[in-house]
Amino acid sequence: MQHPHAELSAYIDDALDPAAQAAVDGHLVACAVCQAHVAELRATAALMRALPDPVPSRSLLPRLATAPAWLAPLRTLMTLASGAAVFLFIASALITNITFLAGSAAAPAALDASRNTAASAPEAQAGGAAASGAPAPASTPFAAFQPTASSTPSLDLTRSPQSAATADNAQKRADQASPSPSEAGRVAVATGENAGVASQAPQRSPLVNPWLWLAVAIVCAALAIALHRRLRTV
Amino acid sequence: MQLLIGRARAGDTRAFEELARREERALYRHALRIVGTTADAEDIVQDALFSAWRSIASFQGVSFRAWLFRIATNRALDQLRSRKRRPELPLDPPEDDEVTWAEPVAPGPDLTQLAGDREALAAVETALEALPAEQRTALLLRDVEGFGYEEIAVITSVEIGTVKSRIHRGRLAVRNTLIGRGWKGPQG
Repeated sequence: MQHPHAELSAYIDDALDPAAQAAVDGHLVACAVCQAHVAELRATAALMRALPDPVPSRSLLPRLATAPAWLAPLRTLMTLASGAAVFLFIASALITNITFLAGSAAAPAALDASRNTAASAPEAQAGGAAASGAPAPASTPFAAFQPTASSTPSLDLTRSPQSAATADNAQKRADQASPSPSEAGRVAVATGENAGVASQAPQRSPLVNPWLWLAVAIVCAALAIALHRRLRTV
Repeated sequence: MQLLIGRARAGDTRAFEELARREERALYRHALRIVGTTADAEDIVQDALFSAWRSIASFQGVSFRAWLFRIATNRALDQLRSRKRRPELPLDPPEDDEVTWAEPVAPGPDLTQLAGDREALAAVETALEALPAEQRTALLLRDVEGFGYEEIAVITSVEIGTVKSRIHRGRLAVRNTLIGRGWKGPQG
């Protein structure tokens, strides 16, 4: 038998069919060269198995986590909600600023009236207060100044826009309530009542607060961005 | 194992990740020794695992490990081909039938006693790098990963006779490199 050189690797791997395996076995008994080659090939295979394991620099597992089905619609909803909140922010800011301007336009008139009242108060005080039946503090010159102070322009955007109208109504009521009041007393009462109304001013629904809508818009936009990133990385 | 495979096929990502984690390191060392660069090997394994996940419904074989190695091996060899100017050409030159056995040039340490010798292992790595890619692949699948010849035939999509030839040529070339560096055979 010739040297079965080409069979020797398969022989040591037990990959030959039984007849070929037996034939090589028979040859090896008598052939020192092939015995040496078998030993060398076995040693080579052993070295291959002993090769060091390289380690990857990172995890090689792919990201398989799939996004829940509701994530994409929620992102769309958050985007739309953010846009709607921006719209409401602008709308509510316009509403409060328009009413604010209306309120500040009325304020100087009340201020002038009060100053006039203050100037003539010493003579008119007693008769005016008595005739109108208003509470004593409201008829004093000092009290007469109070409403003008609170109705001067301020940064309070939620201030009642009805204050100007209330002042008129109050004056009318004062007219009706006092048959013969002096001019000073009437104004004092009117502005006095106005002060009472103005002090309870922010009765408008908080839904008109533009800062609320701005905050809602920012929160919704942040959520939409976070959801978008989550969807993109999946 | 079969339970995990069943769960993974049913869409359980955690089950698949557990299966993939078991083979991650082996796939990496295999891909690295085929392509030679760590970054490419990492990308190949990650892509292969992702591809395996996407096509897990098509897995019907007996060995999940062999199936993963088939995907990764194909990607690694594709990567080597894409580096060539003419990717349509075969990766390795045609094999001739001449197989030579180098003879020891000088007395050296006994080959069988070198399994832990760093110098010998470095010589093996060098010899592997010099092998034609398809011989290297077959030899790695056999000697490092422990696959049988039939499994290697399936993984590399060739006849079993070709597998036998590639393993023998590859192993002989490594042996010749060691002999050429002064090591004598176990009985020499």
